[in-house]
Amino acid sequence: MAKFGERLFNWFDERYKIRGFIEFMSHKSVPQHRHSIWYYFGGVSLFLFIIQVVTGILLLLYYRVGEDSSYESVQFIVSKVKFGWLIRSIHSWSANLMILAVFIHMFSVYFTKAYRKPRELTWVTGFLLLILSLTFGFSGYLLPWNELAFFATKVGTEIIGSIPVIGKELLIIVRGGEDVTGATLSRFFGLHVAILPGIFTVILFIHLLFVQIQGMSEPPEWEKLPPEKRKYIPFFPNFLLRDLLLWLIILNILAVLAVFFPWDLGKKADPFAPAPAGIKPEWYFLFMYQTLKLLPPKVLFIEGEFFGVLIFTVAGILWMLVPFWDVKTEKGYRNRLINYIGLFVLIYMITMTILGYALS
Amino acid sequence: MVQEHRSSRRNFLNYILGFGFLGWIISVLYPIIRYIIPPKIPEAKVKSVKVGKVGDFNPGTGTIFKFGNKPGILIRLETGEFRAFSAVCTHLDCTVQYREDMKAIWCACHNGVYDLNGRNISGPPPRPLEAFRVIVRGDEIYVSKEG
Amino acid sequence: MRRFIVLILSLFISVSALSQTGDGCYNCHKDAVGDKATELYPGDVHFKLGISCADCHGGDKTSDDMDVAMSKEKGYIGVPKGDKITSVCLRCHSDDAIMGKFGSKIDVKQFKLFKASVHGKSEIATCVTCHGVHNIKKVTDPASPVYPTSEVRLCSRCHSDANYMKRFNPALPTDQFEKYKTSVHGQRILKGDVKVATCSDCHSAHDIFKANDPRSTVFASTLPKTCAKCHSDADYMRGYKIPTDQYEKYVQSVHGKALLEKGDLSAPACNDCHGNHGAIPPGVKSISHVCGVCHALNAEMFSRSPHAEVFEKKNIPQCEICHGNHLIEHPTDEMLGVSTKSTCIKCHKEGDKGFEVARQMRDMIDTLVVRASKAKAILDEAEYKGMDVSDARYEMNDVPQILIKTRTVIHTANLNEFKETIEPGYEIVDRVTKSGLDAIYEYYFRRWGLGISTLIITVLVIALYLKIKQIEKKR
Repeated sequence: MAKFGERLFNWFDERYKIRGFIEFMSHKSVPQHRHSIWYYFGGVSLFLFIIQVVTGILLLLYYRVGEDSSYESVQFIVSKVKFGWLIRSIHSWSANLMILAVFIHMFSVYFTKAYRKPRELTWVTGFLLLILSLTFGFSGYLLPWNELAFFATKVGTEIIGSIPVIGKELLIIVRGGEDVTGATLSRFFGLHVAILPGIFTVILFIHLLFVQIQGMSEPPEWEKLPPEKRKYIPFFPNFLLRDLLLWLIILNILAVLAVFFPWDLGKKADPFAPAPAGIKPEWYFLFMYQTLKLLPPKVLFIEGEFFGVLIFTVAGILWMLVPFWDVKTEKGYRNRLINYIGLFVLIYMITMTILGYALS
Repeated sequence: MVQEHRSSRRNFLNYILGFGFLGWIISVLYPIIRYIIPPKIPEAKVKSVKVGKVGDFNPGTGTIFKFGNKPGILIRLETGEFRAFSAVCTHLDCTVQYREDMKAIWCACHNGVYDLNGRNISGPPPRPLEAFRVIVRGDEIYVSKEG
Repeated sequence: MRRFIVLILSLFISVSALSQTGDGCYNCHKDAVGDKATELYPGDVHFKLGISCADCHGGDKTSDDMDVAMSKEKGYIGVPKGDKITSVCLRCHSDDAIMGKFGSKIDVKQFKLFKASVHGKSEIATCVTCHGVHNIKKVTDPASPVYPTSEVRLCSRCHSDANYMKRFNPALPTDQFEKYKTSVHGQRILKGDVKVATCSDCHSAHDIFKANDPRSTVFASTLPKTCAKCHSDADYMRGYKIPTDQYEKYVQSVHGKALLEKGDLSAPACNDCHGNHGAIPPGVKSISHVCGVCHALNAEMFSRSPHAEVFEKKNIPQCEICHGNHLIEHPTDEMLGVSTKSTCIKCHKEGDKGFEVARQMRDMIDTLVVRASKAKAILDEAEYKGMDVSDARYEMNDVPQILIKTRTVIHTANLNEFKETIEPGYEIVDRVTKSGLDAIYEYYFRRWGLGISTLIITVLVIALYLKIKQIEKKR
C-alpha cells in the first residue's frame, strides 16, 4: 500500500516536480500572536464559498429559471426532492455566513493594517471579492421568485434609476426592461450562475496566489521585535488542521441552522399585488438602504438618493485604495487616523443596520 | 511503558480520526446522493400539465385530472374535440363531473349544471367554469392555463 | 261626496274666471268650430286653472281675427307632435316658480326622470300617451287614465299588444296583465280596491327602467324594499290580515343576506318565490317545486323520500316545515338528529324508525366533521413544522364536498344512500391523517439525522483538536 503511494508520488513528481512545492509548503509558517485568530476568517470565507459552489451546483439540477417555473421548481426542491430542503437551506444560510465572514475578514485585515506594502494588491483583490459576494447575494435573492425577493429587488434596483442622465438606461439594462419581470429573473440567473462565478474564481485564485507567495502578514509591532521573539507555527499540518477544525464547526452550525431555521419560501411573487409591509433588502445592504432612506430629498442641488449613491461609491473607492494613501503605516509609524476611520465605518454600518430593523 | 502507552493512545486517536472522517464523508455524501436521485413524482408544473394520450379518452366522456393543487376536467365531445375547464364548481367549490345523459357538466352537490362551454346554465352556480386551453401535440394532450 | 262638491265648486269658479278674461281661441272654437278638443277641455285640470289653448298651442288668444290669432308671428305652433308635446308640457311642469303660482306640489323633475327611462323617447311615449290630452285629470281622480283601477289597463294597451311591443323589445313578454289578473293584487283591483299594487307602484311612474337595470325599482336587490313599501307598513296593511314582518325576516335570511349584503343577484328576491306579476303565496304542495327551482337536488331527493307522501297526506308544508319561509337561516347540522334543536323530533319520537335514522345520520356527520378537523390540525402542525403537505391538502379539498353531499342526501331520509355518500369521506380523512403524521415523523427524522451527523462531526472536531495538541506537543 505504502509502496503504491510512493510510486504514485514519484510518477507525479517526475512530471510536475511537486517535491519542490511540498518543500515550499512544509516551510511555510504562520505567525502566532494575540491577533492570530483573525487569520482564520479568510479560510472560513473560502470554505463557505466552496459550500456555495457545491450546493449551488446541486440546486441547478432541479432549478428552472422562469416566471412560471422558478418558484415552482424551488418549491419542488424543498418539498419533493429528498434532502432538497437541506441543500437549499444550507445554500441560503451559507451565503449569509459567507458575507459575514468576508466582512470580518476585511475589517480584521484593515485594523491589523495587513494591507500595507507589499500586500496592496491582495487588499484590492479582496475588496473586489467582497463586491462580487454582495452582487452574488443580491442576484441570488431574486431567484426563488417569491414576494419578498421580488419587491426587495424592485426597491433595490430602483436606486440605480436615481443616477442622473444614464440612470434610466442603466436601470433598463439591469432589469432587462422597465420593470422587474421574468426578463430580470433571467438576467440575474445568468449573472448568478455563470458570470459571477467565472470572475469570482479568477480573482479568488489571484488573491490566494498572492497570499501563498507572500505568506501571512505579520503585525506592524513585530518589526521592532528581535527575530527570536517572533513565534510561528508551521502552515502544514498545524495551521491547516486548525483551519479544518474551524470548518467542521462551521459545518455543524450550518446544519443546525438549516434544520432548525429552514429558509422560508413564502408566497409566489405577484407583480400586480401591492407590496407587503416591511420590505427590506438583505441585512448586508441594510446600512446603505437605511442611509438612502434617511437622506433628505435634496442635498445641495443633487437628488438625495443619488447623493447617497455617490457618497457610497466614493467611500468604497477610497476604502479600496487605502493601502495607497495610508503612507504613514507603510513607513512604520502608527497611523491612528486609519483606526478612527475604520471604527467610524464599523459603528456607522452597525448603527444603520440596527436602525433599519428598528425603524420598520 | 510510557512510550508504549503513548503510542497506543496515538493509534486510538488516529482510528477515531479515520472513522470520524469516514462518517463525516458519509453524512455529507448520503444527502447529496439522495438529492441527486430524481424523485418519482414528475415535476409539478402548474401552468400546463400533460393529461394523457388521445386514445385514452373516448368521445363523449369527461375525466378529472390534477391541475396544480386543484382539479380540472377534460371533456372529449362526441365530435372528438377536446375541451378543458377547472373542475371547481363556482358555487361552493365542489368538483364537477361530466354527465353523459345530460351532455353537460354537472355538480353533484347542488345540481348545478354547466353546458359544454363551461357556462352555468342551471342551478346555483353564479359564474361559468374557468376555461383552460387544450393542446394536442402529436398523440399527447396538454392542458394549459392560458385560454 | 265631498270631493265631488269641491270639484263642482272649483269648476264653477274657474269657468267664470275664464269667461271674465275672454279666451278668443276657446270661444271661437267652441261656438264656431265645435271640435272635440274644446268639448273636452272644460273637464281638464288645466282649464280649471285658467290655462288657455294659446298657452300650449301658441298664438294670440285676444285677437278675434283668425289669421292674426293663429299666425306664426304670434307663435302659433298648431298641433304639437313628438318631442314638441313634451316641450309644451315642460314649459310649466319643469319650472318650480310657475308651478308654485298655481299652488301645485307636483314634482318638477318628472320630465327629467321620464327622459332617462325606457319610455323616454317620443316615438314610444310622451306625456299625453298616459295622461291624455284636453281632458287631463289629477291622478287621484277616478276618471284619470292613470288612476289605479285604470292604470293597469292603460299600461296593458301597449304591453299586452305583442305586435306593438315587437317593434321596441321583441324579447319582452306581453302576458304581464294576464298574470296580474291571477295575482292577489290583480283580483283585488278588479274588485275596486285601489290600495293594492298596480304597475306604477312597483315599476314607478316616470322613471321606469328595465328590471335588470340597477336603477330600476324592481332590480333584484332593490325589489324587496319596493315590496316592503306596502307590505311592511302595518297601518297600510291593516285589514288584509297578513303579517307585515316578511321583509324584516327576509333581510336576516340566507337569501336576504346573499342578495342584499353579498350582492349575489342569483339569490332569490320576493318575486322569485311568489312570482312577480302573478304574485301569490305558493300553495302547500308547490313549495318544494318553488324551492326546487334552485335547490333542485334537494327537491328531487325529498320527492323520493318517505316524507313526501306523508307530508302530502297531512298537508304539511314541505320544505317550510323544517327550514321556515321568509326567515330561512343557514342550515346547521343541529337541525338533524334527536337533540332539542333538531327539527326531526317535531314528528319523530324515541323508538320509531325515523328517530333512529336521524340519530345515526347526525352521529356520522359529526364524526366526519370532528375527524376532518383533527386531520386538518395535523396538517397544520406539519406545515407549522415546515413540512410540505400540499398533496394531502389537495385531497382534503374533497371532504367539504362530501359533507355538502351528505347534508344534501339526508333529504332522502335513506340511511343506505347516506352511508354510501359519507363513507369515502372517512377514507379520505384516514389517508390525510396518515400522510400528515408521516410528515410530522419525517420532521423528527430530520432532527435525528441532524443529531447523528452533528455527533459525528463533533467527535471529529474533538479528535482533531487532540491531534493538533499531540502534534504541537511533539515539537
